[in-house]
Amino acid sequence: MIDQDYDGPILEIDKLSISFFTRLREIPAVMDFSGKIMPGEALGLVGESGCGKSTVALGVMQDLGVNGRIVGGSIKFKGQELTTMSPDKLREIRGSQIAMIYQEPMASLNPAMKIGKQLAEVPMIHDGITEKEAMQRAFEVVTDVKLPDPKRMLNSYPHQLSGGQQQRIVIAMALMSKPALLILDEPTTALDVTVEAAVVELVKDLGKKYGTSMLFISHNLGLVLETCDRINVMYSGEAVERGSIEEVFDHMRHPYTQALFRSIPLPGADKNARPLIAIPGNFPLPHERPEGCNFGPRCDYFEAGRCDAGFIPMAQVEGNDRHQTRCLRFQEIDWKAPINVGEIKEKPEPGPVVLKMDNLKKYYEVAANALLGGGDKKVVKANETLSFEARESETLAIVGESGCGKSTFAKVLMGLETATDGQILLDNQSIGDVPIENRSTSNVADIQMVFQNPFDTLNPSMTVGRQIMRALEIFRIGKNDDARRQRMLELLDLVKLPRAFADRMPRQLSGGQKQRVGIARAFAGDARIVVADEPVSALDVSVQAAVTDLLMEIQREQKTTLLFISHDLSIVRYLSDRVMVMYLGHVVELGSTDQVFAPPYHPYTEALLSAVPIADTSVTKKHIVLEGDIPSAMNPPTGCPFQTRCRWKSQVAGNKCETEVPKQQIMAQRHQIKCHLGAEDFASMEPVITIAAE
Amino acid sequence: MEPLTWTGTIGTFVNPIFSITAIAFGLAVVAQIVLSFFAPAVTLQANADGTLQQRGGAFGLAEKAVKLLLIANVALILVYLVGGILLPYGDAGIIGAISKRFLPVWIALILTFGVSITFKRRLGLYGKLFDSTVGMIGFALVMFWVFTAVLAGLFDLIATYDPLSQISGLKNKVPGFPVTDERKLGAVPHYLLGGDNLARDVFSRMVYGSTVVISIAPLATLVAFMVGITLGLPAGYFSGRLDTLLTFLSNLILAFPVILLFYLLVTPEIIQTGIPSYMAMILFIFPVVFFVVLLNARFYTQPSKRNPILIGVLAVLGYFYLSTISQPGTVVHFLPAWLDLFDIPGGILVVFVSVVFVNSPTVFRIVRGLTLDLRTRDYVAAAQTRGERPWYIMLWEILPNARGPLIVDFCLRIGYTTILLGTLGFFGLGLPPESPDWGSTINAGRRLLSTYIHPPLAPAGALLTLVLGLNLLADGLREESLKD
Repeated sequence: MIDQDYDGPILEIDKLSISFFTRLREIPAVMDFSGKIMPGEALGLVGESGCGKSTVALGVMQDLGVNGRIVGGSIKFKGQELTTMSPDKLREIRGSQIAMIYQEPMASLNPAMKIGKQLAEVPMIHDGITEKEAMQRAFEVVTDVKLPDPKRMLNSYPHQLSGGQQQRIVIAMALMSKPALLILDEPTTALDVTVEAAVVELVKDLGKKYGTSMLFISHNLGLVLETCDRINVMYSGEAVERGSIEEVFDHMRHPYTQALFRSIPLPGADKNARPLIAIPGNFPLPHERPEGCNFGPRCDYFEAGRCDAGFIPMAQVEGNDRHQTRCLRFQEIDWKAPINVGEIKEKPEPGPVVLKMDNLKKYYEVAANALLGGGDKKVVKANETLSFEARESETLAIVGESGCGKSTFAKVLMGLETATDGQILLDNQSIGDVPIENRSTSNVADIQMVFQNPFDTLNPSMTVGRQIMRALEIFRIGKNDDARRQRMLELLDLVKLPRAFADRMPRQLSGGQKQRVGIARAFAGDARIVVADEPVSALDVSVQAAVTDLLMEIQREQKTTLLFISHDLSIVRYLSDRVMVMYLGHVVELGSTDQVFAPPYHPYTEALLSAVPIADTSVTKKHIVLEGDIPSAMNPPTGCPFQTRCRWKSQVAGNKCETEVPKQQIMAQRHQIKCHLGAEDFASMEPVITIAAE
Repeated sequence: MEPLTWTGTIGTFVNPIFSITAIAFGLAVVAQIVLSFFAPAVTLQANADGTLQQRGGAFGLAEKAVKLLLIANVALILVYLVGGILLPYGDAGIIGAISKRFLPVWIALILTFGVSITFKRRLGLYGKLFDSTVGMIGFALVMFWVFTAVLAGLFDLIATYDPLSQISGLKNKVPGFPVTDERKLGAVPHYLLGGDNLARDVFSRMVYGSTVVISIAPLATLVAFMVGITLGLPAGYFSGRLDTLLTFLSNLILAFPVILLFYLLVTPEIIQTGIPSYMAMILFIFPVVFFVVLLNARFYTQPSKRNPILIGVLAVLGYFYLSTISQPGTVVHFLPAWLDLFDIPGGILVVFVSVVFVNSPTVFRIVRGLTLDLRTRDYVAAAQTRGERPWYIMLWEILPNARGPLIVDFCLRIGYTTILLGTLGFFGLGLPPESPDWGSTINAGRRLLSTYIHPPLAPAGALLTLVLGLNLLADGLREESLKD
C-alpha cells in the first residue's frame, strides 16, 4: 500500500515520452512532457485536439492500449514510479488513489447496473468493506455531489438520469475511495452550458473539501481559468508553456499561447473593429512535425536557421520560479506590442426585411402506442409563438440549450416539417406550410443550412467536388457538367480552399476544411438566408476563428441573412447583430446584441451569461448557478417555462409565474422580454460581466 | 501399375521430421498456455539513461518456440506440395500428384497475390485486405476454389477424369488406386482420391463440384442482396407503417422452417401450379428496379443524359430478365425460342429462387438497421434541405456508406448459401442426382460411410475450406474496414 502520510508532490512527471506504434511507423504522441502537481493543487492541461493531452492522462493511468507505449521518462505518483510498476500494484492504485472522469458520462456507467451498486463496488474492491458500509458511503457521496433525492438516485439505472446527473454520478464514483489525484478529461464537453457551470462549481468545491489534487484536461481556456491553479499549454505533443494561471493568462511568453488567446472571442473583440486572428496554417500531423519548434511554421516570430535548428528545451522565465516556456526568442519578442488588426471593415447596413416569422407554432403529437396509433396522445410544444424579423445582411443569433426548440425551428424554416400554426414569410410569400417537395427550386436554394458536426456534414463516400456539383445540379445551375465544374471551382475559391480539393475524399480533409466545404455547398445556389447550426462548436479554437471570419466575409459580400444558432454566448456577442434567447420553445428575450448583453435581462439570459466561461482574468462575473436540469419538453412546467429554475420568482407577487405564461414586455426599441417581473425589478439588475479597467 | 501412397518417396525423409516438429509444436503450445498462468508478467524496466527496457522470461521463450515451430511446420507442408510439382509423377505420392494437377491454380494465385500486394496502397479496401493475415488466408482459400471452378469449368484443366463416367473395377477403391483399363486412361493413371460407389473419380467430381457451387452461390446471394436492399432502404428511411409491414413479412418468412419450404418448392405438384416461376418473376424484377431507380435518381435533373442511359440499361436488363423467367415447359413461357437467350434447367431455377427467397429477409433487416442509423446523419439532412428526392438520398447518400457491413455480410452470406446448396444437395432437392456438386456427393457417400469413408471426405473438405475461407475473408474485411 502506498504511504498515506506522504507530503511531497502527488504527481511528478519528468521528461515523459509516449509513442503509438502502427503498422507503418512509430507515432510520437507526447514528447518531453514534465509537470508536477502538489497536494490540493489543480493543474489544467490545455491544447487543441490531437496535441496529446489525453494521452498524458492515459499515460498516468498506465492505460495506453495495445499500440501505445511509454518510450522514455518517468511518472512518479507519491514518489513511486508508475512506469515500472507491476499490473497488480497498478490495479491497487487505479480507482482508489487515482480516479479518472471521462467526457461521455453514459459511456462510463454500466447501463445494466443500478447506480448504488456501481458506486458501492469501488470501496468494496479497494478497501474490502461490507456492502452495507459501502452503500452508506455511496449515500454520503451522492449527497455530496448535490443530487436531489439520493435514495432514489441510488436505486435507479443510469438511463433514468439526465446527462448532468449522470456526470455527477461519475464524479461521485471517482470520489468514492477518496483518491489523492483526480483526472478529468473534458468532463463537461457533452453538457449544456448552465449544467456545465453547475458541474464545474461542484468539482471545485469537492476538490477543496476532500483536498484532492486534480489534473483538468480541457480545450476551453475559460473553464481552466475558473477551475485551476496552474496551467500547462500543449501543442503537437509538447508542453509549450507552463506556469500559474495568472502568469500564463496575463504575461504569456510563448507565441502559441498568445495566438490562442487572440483567436478566441473575448469580450473586447468585435467582428468589424477588432476581428479574431486565426492562427495561419494547419496543425501538423504527428509524423510530419517540423524540425525544431513544432509551432515554427505557423509562428509570426519565426526565425529561419534558429527556430528550426533542433530540439528546443523548456526555458525558465525570470521573475517567477515555476513559469517556463519552450521558445528560443521569448526574451526578444515585444509581448506588449498592439495587435495588428489589419483593415477595419465597414459594418454593412441591414437591408429590407427578408424573412418574417409570425406567431409560428410547431406542435408534435406523440402517440403512446406507436404501432396501433391508439392510446393517449401527448402534445409536445416544440415552438411556441415565435415572431421575429430578419433583414438582409443581418446576423441574428438564436441562443439556447438543448431542447429549447431551435432545431425544430430550423426544420420548419427549411421545410422539412410544416408549421402547426402561424406564418413564415419569405419576401412576403408564405412558406410555413409548404413542405420542401412543393417549394420552388429558387425558394429551396435561397434558404440553406450549415451543419454542426464537420465529420458528419459531408458524405464520406463522394468526392468534395461531386457533392458541390450535385447541389448545383439540383438547383439547376449551369448548362452542362463543364459549366457546373467551373462554378464549383469558384465556390472552392470563395471558401478559400485550393482547387485541388475538388477531387479529394472528405476523410482527407481536416475538420475546418470540411466545414468550409459545407459552407461552399450551402452557398451553391446563392443562398440569401443561411441557417448556421453551431457551425464552429465542434472545431478547435484556432480553426473556429478562421471559419467564423469566412462566414462573416461571405456575408458582407453576398448580403446574406445569417441565422446563427449557438449556445456559446462569447461567439454570439462577437458576431451577431441581434440575439434571440430561447427556452423550452419560447422566445424569452429578443433584442440587439448590446441590449441582450446588458441589463435588464430575462432571468434565463442572466444565468446563461454567468455560466459561460470567459478566458480573461480581468473579467469578473456575477455568480449565478441554476438548480436542476432543463425540464422535458414532453412535460413542461405550467405558467412561465423558466419558473422551476428562476431565482427572481419570489419577486413576482402571487402565483403568477406558476399559473400564467408571461406576455412579451417591450423594454426598449425592438427589445422584448417574456417575463412577469416589474419595471423596478428590471431596473435593479446588475450587469453579469464586468471588465476591470486596465 | 503400382497404387500410389500418400507421400511417395519424399515421405521417407520428410515424414519423420514432420512428425517430430508437429509433436514439438503441440508441446510448445501447451507449455505456453501453462506458463501464462505462472510466469511473471512482462514489465518495463527503467534504465539509468532514461530509456526503458522490456523483460522477457520463460514465457517469452515459449512464445518464441511456438512461432519458430509453426514456421517449420508450414515449410515442411510446402516441401510436400512443391516436391510434387518438381519430381516426376508418382515420386511425391498422392499429395504431390494433386499438387501438380492444381499447378495452374497455384500460378494464378501467386500472380493475383503478387500484383495485389505490389499495388495494395492504390486498391482501396481490397488493397487493405493484404495488410491482414487472416484476410489474406481467407482470400487465398476463396480464390483457390474460384480459380479451380473457372479453370475446370471453362478450360477442362485440373480434373483427371470425366465426373460422370464410370470405370469398372474401381468401385469404392481407396485413394491412389491405379486405373487398369488402358482405353479409359485419363490425365493420370490413378484415381487420386479413390472411386465412389458408382466407380467415378472422387477427385474429378470434387473439382467439377466447385464449378456448380461457385456459379450459383455468389449469383444467388447477389440477387438476394438486391431484393433486400431495394426493400430495406425505404423501410428504414420512411419507417412508419411501411416498415412495420415489411418487417412483419420478413419475420414471417424467417419463422418458416427453411427445409420444409424447400421440400414444398420442389414438389412436382407445386411446380405444376407455377409458384416457383411466379416467384422467380417477382424476385428477379428487383435487380432491374434497383438499377433503374439508382440511375434515375442520379440523373433526373439532366433528362438529355438520363434518357439514353435509362433506355440502354432497361433494354439490356429487361431482356435478361425476360430470358431468365421465360422457360419452356413451365407456366411462364412467352418468348419464342429464337428470342430466348438462355434456359436455366428447372432444378437450378428452383434452387436459385429458394436461396434468394430465404436469404433476402436477413439482408433486408441488415439494410433497414443500417439505414435507420445513417438517416440521422447531417449529410442526409443536407440532402433533404436542398430538396433531394427520397430515392436519391437512399441510394446515393445512404447506401454507399453502408457498404462496409454489407460487403462483410455478402462474404459471409455466400458461405451460408454454399452450405445451403450443400444441404439442398444432401436432401436430393433441386439439382439432378448425378450432379457433382458437393452436397449431392456427400449425400451419395453417406450411405456407405461405415465401410468406405473416403468418397464423402473430399467434397466435405472442399466445402469446409471454401466456407472457412469466406468467413476469414469477411473477418479480414471487417477488421480492415474498421481501421482508420
